[in-house]
Amino acid sequence: MIEKLKKILALIKKEFIITWMDPKSRRIIIALPIVQLILFSYAITMEVKNIDVVVVDQDNSTESRELISRFDLSPQFRNIYRVKNMKQMQNKLDNKDANMGLYINNDFSTNIISHTPTDVLIITDGRQTNSAAIVAGYVSQIVSDYSQEIAPTNGVKINVVTRNWYNPNLEYRWFILTVIIAMLASVITLILTALSIAREREMGTFDQLIVSPLSSVDILAGKTVPPLIIAMALTCIMTFVIKIFFRMPFEGSIVLFLISMFVSLLSLVGVGLYISSICRTQQQAILGVITFMMPAVLLSGFISPIEDMPVFLQYLTLLNPIRFFMALTRGIFLKGMNFADVSMNLVPLIITATITLSLACWSFKKRQN
Amino acid sequence: MKILRALVKKEILQIVRDPSSIVISFVLPLISILIYMYGINLDFITVNVGIKNDDNSPEIAQLANSFGNSKYINSEISDDMNNLTQKLIRSKIKGMVVIPNDFSTKLEQKQSADLMVIADGAEVNTATHLQNYILQISNQWLASSKYAQLMSPQIVNPQIRTWYNQDSNGYYFILPGSIAITMTLIGILLTALVVAREWERGTMESLLSSNVTRMHIVLGKYIPYFILGMLSMIFNLILCIGVFRVPFHGSYLVLTFVSSLFLFASMGIGLLISTVLKNQFFASQISIGIGFLPALLLSGFVFPIGSMPEILQYITRILPPRYFITFIESEFMAGTVPSIAIKSSLFLLILGTLLFWAVYKNTDMRLSND
Amino acid sequence: MDTVTIEHLTKNFRGMTAIDDLSLKIEKGKITGLIGSDGSGKTTLIRLIIGLLLPDHGKISVLGLNPETQKDELNKKIGYMPQKFGLYEDLTVIENLRLYADLKNVAHDFEKLLEFTNLKKFQTRLAGALSGGMKQKLGLACVLLGSPEFLLLDEPSVGVDPISRRDLMRMVRDLISPETTVLWSTAYLDEAHSFDTAVVLNQGKVIYQGKPYDLAKTTEEFENKVIDLMGGYRKTKSRIAENYIPKNSDVEYTVVADNLEKLYGSFYAVKNNSFKIKKGEIFGLLGPNGAGKSTSFKMMCGLLKPTSGTARIMGVDITEDPENARANLGYMAQKFSLYEALTVKQNLDFFAEIYGIHDENLKKRVDEIIDIFGFFQTRKQKSGELPLGFKQKLSLACALIHNPPILFLDEPTSGVDVITRREFWDHIKSLAQKGVTVLVTTHFMDEAEYCDRISLFYKGDAVAIGTPSALKNKVRAKSMEEAFMKLILESEK
Repeated sequence: MIEKLKKILALIKKEFIITWMDPKSRRIIIALPIVQLILFSYAITMEVKNIDVVVVDQDNSTESRELISRFDLSPQFRNIYRVKNMKQMQNKLDNKDANMGLYINNDFSTNIISHTPTDVLIITDGRQTNSAAIVAGYVSQIVSDYSQEIAPTNGVKINVVTRNWYNPNLEYRWFILTVIIAMLASVITLILTALSIAREREMGTFDQLIVSPLSSVDILAGKTVPPLIIAMALTCIMTFVIKIFFRMPFEGSIVLFLISMFVSLLSLVGVGLYISSICRTQQQAILGVITFMMPAVLLSGFISPIEDMPVFLQYLTLLNPIRFFMALTRGIFLKGMNFADVSMNLVPLIITATITLSLACWSFKKRQN
Repeated sequence: MKILRALVKKEILQIVRDPSSIVISFVLPLISILIYMYGINLDFITVNVGIKNDDNSPEIAQLANSFGNSKYINSEISDDMNNLTQKLIRSKIKGMVVIPNDFSTKLEQKQSADLMVIADGAEVNTATHLQNYILQISNQWLASSKYAQLMSPQIVNPQIRTWYNQDSNGYYFILPGSIAITMTLIGILLTALVVAREWERGTMESLLSSNVTRMHIVLGKYIPYFILGMLSMIFNLILCIGVFRVPFHGSYLVLTFVSSLFLFASMGIGLLISTVLKNQFFASQISIGIGFLPALLLSGFVFPIGSMPEILQYITRILPPRYFITFIESEFMAGTVPSIAIKSSLFLLILGTLLFWAVYKNTDMRLSND
Repeated sequence: MDTVTIEHLTKNFRGMTAIDDLSLKIEKGKITGLIGSDGSGKTTLIRLIIGLLLPDHGKISVLGLNPETQKDELNKKIGYMPQKFGLYEDLTVIENLRLYADLKNVAHDFEKLLEFTNLKKFQTRLAGALSGGMKQKLGLACVLLGSPEFLLLDEPSVGVDPISRRDLMRMVRDLISPETTVLWSTAYLDEAHSFDTAVVLNQGKVIYQGKPYDLAKTTEEFENKVIDLMGGYRKTKSRIAENYIPKNSDVEYTVVADNLEKLYGSFYAVKNNSFKIKKGEIFGLLGPNGAGKSTSFKMMCGLLKPTSGTARIMGVDITEDPENARANLGYMAQKFSLYEALTVKQNLDFFAEIYGIHDENLKKRVDEIIDIFGFFQTRKQKSGELPLGFKQKLSLACALIHNPPILFLDEPTSGVDVITRREFWDHIKSLAQKGVTVLVTTHFMDEAEYCDRISLFYKGDAVAIGTPSALKNKVRAKSMEEAFMKLILESEK
């Protein structure tokens, strides 16, 4: 047994020397994800900011100018372009020089003074429907606030008081960081595992391994551990970077985090090994990785929530390790998930890991014959 | 010319022999369009919400029920706060609405009544949506309730129109946009290994000692994969317009032209990686690392570029999909907008040419000393 | 008139001198043989001549052109066949020919070449599926297209059987015009002996240039003279064998092939192959490329599943218990298959460990191997950067590291210089005396003489088995090479 472990250890050591001792390789594995982590977390937000508005003010009254100034004062809005007519407005919007249009009729001030309900026309750009909806939300809020102020009497009203748990200021960055950590770790794990066997096949070294007294399980074990360790180290470094750079809270337990990470990455290693067991060349392996990864990332729930998908897809995502990996990082970082909460997410991961690893083992053995 | 033709022919034969690249050119678009069509929803979200009603007036019970009647909310009415909190931690629900026991009293007294919303801030987007939904639904309820006459009239009403896409159908923009993401990947991945492969297998040494010039080698890689990429692009468009019936208001000619510029630029990235690294293992890592995630996250497809810090907005300028997404969304929904089409083409052309030049410059015609 | 003039050429790689103040003239219209020990700078010199590498110092003029600045023009006049020839393995024979014809801008007229190379029947086969000898012939055919003025061949005959080797030689001699200059690097001294001029390199310097016939009248003599030039070879006791610890086992026949057969579609790659090898015996598998030697080899060590039949290593069935069977095996593959990204020492460490040598034993054993094989200088170099001969040496070292009672060596001496070849065989013979069973393939007919018994393979069949002298007597041949040819010819009938 010890003898066997020593052999596997030798395999692991070899893998480390190849992927880790080479400075070029090290830079790719560590530096690339860290740069991406910082870049993405600064860049990505679902909020819409710096909105440019094109305005046609037919009324040109104190009241209309007051309404327009509300946009100027709102932090989400940037430039206000005043144009003469609808045609010019259309032109601005067509060319995407402005993100939305505001059209005020010439009876605006008259109506307000006489307390007659009046309309203002808001035009959003449906070429990006998600941004359009968010912009429409902002505008409604501004207009309705204005409307409230000029209302003659104080009526009843519902105030919605919101408390955002786990992330009181709704920092988008906190959300996206937990997503990116999981995503980057998954990408590296998949690439490392899927490519390493394909590369040995192409180089001919794989035959040399098979001729040795190592069993296929030994070889697979030797291929499983190094990417696992590298990806875990990478995740820890990224976590550290996050703490330093973004002062993000880490509510949960480190031990649970390590366990979750281990199980998640293990199931991804299984996927990577399975891909590499069916590929002859590195070209095929890399195409295999992307064919798995693209759906897995898109269906992980970070762009669009899982609950919103058709039932069939929801079931399919149960097999998606990236989904649970993200849920776990988010839960542990922000929500301080306890053991019971974590284990609910671990169960599907353990099942996937078992399936993918045995599948890899089986297909690997089959290939040998 | 003859040499170039021979190199292109050779590459095409190789593509045909290992059909994995052909498969990827058509399977990846299919998978991705299906996912974007059925799995991604960027417009409205259905949120699971727990409702706790502490006010026992029958009027307010209606309010509690009206949340569940909205298509945006799946509600669950419960009096057990601990149970709801537990569910929130486990992400079974994404928020709670608590109606305080003095809610109806306050309304009766013509005062503002507070409605408490607790959202799962860990999922920022859902939390924002939830807040808006609750605001809308509760105001609608108020306007139709017996308290309606106690409300002050809304004088200024915003009338919101969505241009270019009257029904705000998200798929009209998601599907064309997804083409840009898929095609970036295909452009980069198809080409990222092909030069490195020749170095690793030793065929490059033979080419370098034949009559082949640097331009031959570069074009000999660009042309065949460009053809394959364009076929994939056409397949994407057929799926999008023909099968999923996304209305197309633009010009096919302009679309083809800008698409080919976009592909030219994307392939430049892959070929540059391959030419510089000369090693398939590294080339694979880099191409996935910089091909997939930046295209998805920084191209403005899901996350608006306008909201990024200015420096990062400049960084996105090196991403071909950035231009192509703006262009293709506009071309589909608004028809050809000359300024957008020209600007995108110009940037893609510059980017593609720069990359081409870099590939050309980095194509070694001798062995290196390593 | 000289095709190549080199003056005071120097080339360094990362502080190591590959070519050292070398001056050389290569005569036009002659075949010049380039010989020298592994790592003496043969490949580097050829690459410098055609401008694939740039010199650090010195002047080169080739066909009146400067390869540094006029590489494009030079390319039009030369034909270069690198060691790892750039055939596209995923293209067919005819597609490769067409490609290189188009690159050289010559007509698609391959009749004569196909005839010469016997590749006519295989036109539509993928180059990757050809046997080693056929690949080399196809590679040479591609290089000969367009009748280059100057032909540079970097070890074209590595891993090629004697019959194909004659074909290669005939192709060059018959298909070029008398004005064509040929620079032919080779490890086969019989080849070099037949050339017009021989250039012997040692440590980046020319140590001999002249007519081979002037140096020695016969091939054997020539070989000895060259060895003397390269510093001489003293037969020493093989320390590998000295330190070998025999494994006790009462199995008489340590390697047994039992009706091994491999069927691809309707084509028998190996057919009804049976033999028994006694403990301590050196058993040679001989035969032309593509005869099924490597396929047999792969089946014997469990890399390939036989269609029927089996093999037993130390009495253990390879198909039933591959792990235990392989524990007794040292295997050296035909193609270099160690980790190119690892250094020499790291490779040795790795293979020692996976064969169960650990801790102090490991260090001791690896140091010993480094010492015996002379890896001390190169121990920290990546194995991928080593010259071919060094790679082979390292492969052998890795196969021997765990003292296996059985050695499978697939063309161990291909691409190895003449001195190292002798060392290899010293080790092999001494190990056999200690009781190691050796199964070996080779294309050097002089090496075949060292085998205790030989099985001659042709078209998937063992056409003759016996001791070398028995085989020679059978067809009344003077040399092993002659016996080889005659036996194959006989089985054709």
